[in-house]
Amino acid sequence: MNWSVIRLLYAHELTMLLRARRTVIMAVILPAVMMPLMLYAEKYSNDRRERTLQAATYPYTITGPLTGQIQKAISDARVSLATEQDDDLRQLSQVNFVEMHSVANPRQSLDDNRIQFYIETFSGDEADKLASRSQAPQRNSAASPAERRLKGVPLVNVVYREDRDSSDNAHNRIMSLLRIARRQESRLLLTGHGFPAGAKDVFAVQSSSIATSGQVTGSIVGRFITLFLVMMMFTGGAVAAMDIIAGEKERGTLETLLTTAAGRADIAAAKQLAITSVALVITLIQGLNFVLYIKLKLIPLPNDFDLQLPTGMALTLLVLFIPLAATIASVLLMISAYAKSYKESQMYFFPIYLVGMIPALASVMPGISLRSAIAFVPVANVSVAAREILMGRPDPLMIAVTFGVMVFAAGYLVRSAARLLAREDIISPAHTEPAEFLGGPALFQRRVLRWFALMWVVTFAVATNVPALQSLRGQLLFNELVVMIGACLLMMLMYRLDPREVLSLKPVKPAVWVAVFFAIPAGYITALGVFKVVNVFIPAPQQLLERFSEDLIPKGMPSWELVLYTAVLPAICEELAFRGILLSGLRRKLRPASLIVGIGLIFGIFHVTLYRIAPTAVLGMVLTAIALMTGSVFPGMLLHAGNNAIGVLGGSWFAIEALRWPQFAAATAIFSLSLWIIYRNRTPMPTR
Amino acid sequence: MSAPVVVQNLSKIFFDEGRGQIRAVDAINFECGEAEVFGLLGANGAGKTTTLRMLSTILVPSSGTATLMGHDVVKNPEGVRKNLGFYSATTALYPRLTARETIDFFARINQYPAERVKERVDYLIERFGLGKYADARVEKLSSGMKQKVSIARTIAHNPSILIFDEPTVGLDVLNALDVQESISELRNEGKTIIFSTHIMSEAERLCDRIAIIHGGHILASGTLAGLRESTDQHYLEDIFVQYVKAAQVAV
Repeated sequence: MNWSVIRLLYAHELTMLLRARRTVIMAVILPAVMMPLMLYAEKYSNDRRERTLQAATYPYTITGPLTGQIQKAISDARVSLATEQDDDLRQLSQVNFVEMHSVANPRQSLDDNRIQFYIETFSGDEADKLASRSQAPQRNSAASPAERRLKGVPLVNVVYREDRDSSDNAHNRIMSLLRIARRQESRLLLTGHGFPAGAKDVFAVQSSSIATSGQVTGSIVGRFITLFLVMMMFTGGAVAAMDIIAGEKERGTLETLLTTAAGRADIAAAKQLAITSVALVITLIQGLNFVLYIKLKLIPLPNDFDLQLPTGMALTLLVLFIPLAATIASVLLMISAYAKSYKESQMYFFPIYLVGMIPALASVMPGISLRSAIAFVPVANVSVAAREILMGRPDPLMIAVTFGVMVFAAGYLVRSAARLLAREDIISPAHTEPAEFLGGPALFQRRVLRWFALMWVVTFAVATNVPALQSLRGQLLFNELVVMIGACLLMMLMYRLDPREVLSLKPVKPAVWVAVFFAIPAGYITALGVFKVVNVFIPAPQQLLERFSEDLIPKGMPSWELVLYTAVLPAICEELAFRGILLSGLRRKLRPASLIVGIGLIFGIFHVTLYRIAPTAVLGMVLTAIALMTGSVFPGMLLHAGNNAIGVLGGSWFAIEALRWPQFAAATAIFSLSLWIIYRNRTPMPTR
Repeated sequence: MSAPVVVQNLSKIFFDEGRGQIRAVDAINFECGEAEVFGLLGANGAGKTTTLRMLSTILVPSSGTATLMGHDVVKNPEGVRKNLGFYSATTALYPRLTARETIDFFARINQYPAERVKERVDYLIERFGLGKYADARVEKLSSGMKQKVSIARTIAHNPSILIFDEPTVGLDVLNALDVQESISELRNEGKTIIFSTHIMSEAERLCDRIAIIHGGHILASGTLAGLRESTDQHYLEDIFVQYVKAAQVAV
């Protein structure tokens, strides 16, 4: 990295953006000015409407045998509400209802706008007769839901016009008043017969939360702050990103820049920094806007809203939000670098924006803590961390992990964008990449990850949506035979691959078999020991342990079937897929260490349940290392099958709980020795 | 000591959906010395631009090597670009920068010594007669002025090697003459210049040596006098046609 070049390019990019007057006006100034204007206009019109409706006079009439009773009930209710402390109730008593007497045809008067509604009353007998003749007063679907009327109970029906604002408003208010009047009548009747006046007189109910209002507010804000920021950063950063590479391609200035002495990585880094800055500035402007709206009471907050943000908490959030902005900027940079034109980059933006919001929703899901595998999922980790920080329960170790993961993700994406800038088909759209043209094994190497992404989507979609395949048997048969083996066969067919070579079906030295045989129990016990050690620093929730064994060991299945479905079948199919096809596709593109980590992680992600990702990823890494050392899938198959078999049946063979540190140490020594023997007898496959 | 530009067996293969595998440049060889204008003369699609884009490290050669001031285009592309000024019809200017800012930016990005940048910018503004327009945005300039700014930004860092890929395409006669004049002056200053064109008169007027390129192959190269002698033709156009027809007959 040449920092002086990055500095120069960064300043250049910002100058270019600031001088794009239209962009600045459309993306920054207009939203900043329009939003408060819009909110103010909305508030003004609402207030005015309320005042107008409150000051208006609502003529009405009452018909039927209960006219006198309803007149009195309304009048009593209004008198009692006049002394209420609640503003809404007091206002209800002040509404200008004016009763019109001797209205000959209330329906006609309502239609002619001479009255806003009328109340028709029916005695119990009349109402029963109407009900029996199915002549209940006409109602439309939008009116308030009909109450269930007991036989003999009188009926009061408010007739109004929902399509007229004043009539609809008058109806809402008279309905509230009638319900209050009915409650008062009911209370009078009950007390008249010696019963408690109302539910409140039977026993009082109340609740007490021990959380402070600051914590409650923190919890609410924490759930949505990352989602809000991701949305702001995506939309804010997009303004710069679209122009920064795709726009340059269109104008022809990218080629000018690429012929200068600046390195591609420096160009990508400077552009990424510029997008990050713009995203942060626009987010800050929008954030300040919101604070201003709240201060101006354009956005009302609940009375108990109390967001406490001490300096330390604010700084911690900032430490997480800066790499979040950098990661989003890197994604936008990738879109812009990949697109051939400004228009094309706009087309890619929206779906990626939607996908980007999914991990930000992690904080909304109940029960997710940062001290879990979520800490390793970019964006989702920031979302959960922000919630915990705002609730006053920050976890310093996991916040550090989150920061590291985000910095790594941002760095990786910038590097990928720099690589895109070196691709000829990206710089000169007329050129096709040789692999795309030649097809066969060359294209397979470029497409293998897409295949595995598709396989994961199918596995996940079926596991969550097809009830018939949700049993262990059904799921394993579908995943292993249809998805894994089916996809492997399709890839071999489409890309004309030699099965023996691509599946690494190669014999190994006898010493390797012996080593693997000992590595199976030793590796399993070592893994338990590692888990115990890790548990000291990052205690796994009890729920995790229970779910893990529930997922793995279904009740009531015979041992032989359990071993067949959970050990033998996955060992064969998954080894052929991951250490066969996937490893063959990637091994000439990545270094061995990256292969081990990458394939291990992909293997982990395929074990859909969140609780199983980390342990299976570690197993995947060991199996990939063995496949690289031996150049064969067979030792991995044996180790995989043995490991799974102990996993499901181990408890009945030996007392896992009884294992102590000496046993763990011995197992670790045997496992290390086994790996050393495999290494000494290696017949490695060619890698990068 | 080797020449500033050495090209050996340089090839570029493209893959096109419609046309399949295309050998845009096929094992070409040439060298270009100091204070020399080396012309690549060929029709559209002959392989001129692809060759020059490989030399400027925009494209990676499929095979063969090319070194500029001793830097390999594949192994040390940044070293190559530091010593190179690349000008083509497709290398546009930043419309929202002024002429002065443009020259300043390209001098700095190409790592011209920071303390001498201002002096260099002033010199180039003076040299190309841009004084009156130096602080106007490029988007506001006439096409002739833009052309001058383009050449100024190409030589902003005073590179030893200059590549001009069809620099007069789309220019009127007077602007084209200005560009040719600038190239002549740069040759006189000792620059190594590779110049591509399909306009015969330009090649005749400017180039010290000419390579006739067709179908990705260099059919002939030498001084204009040498080419005249070997073909027994006087006009470059006739020389060019003779070589191309002979190549077509051979195919």
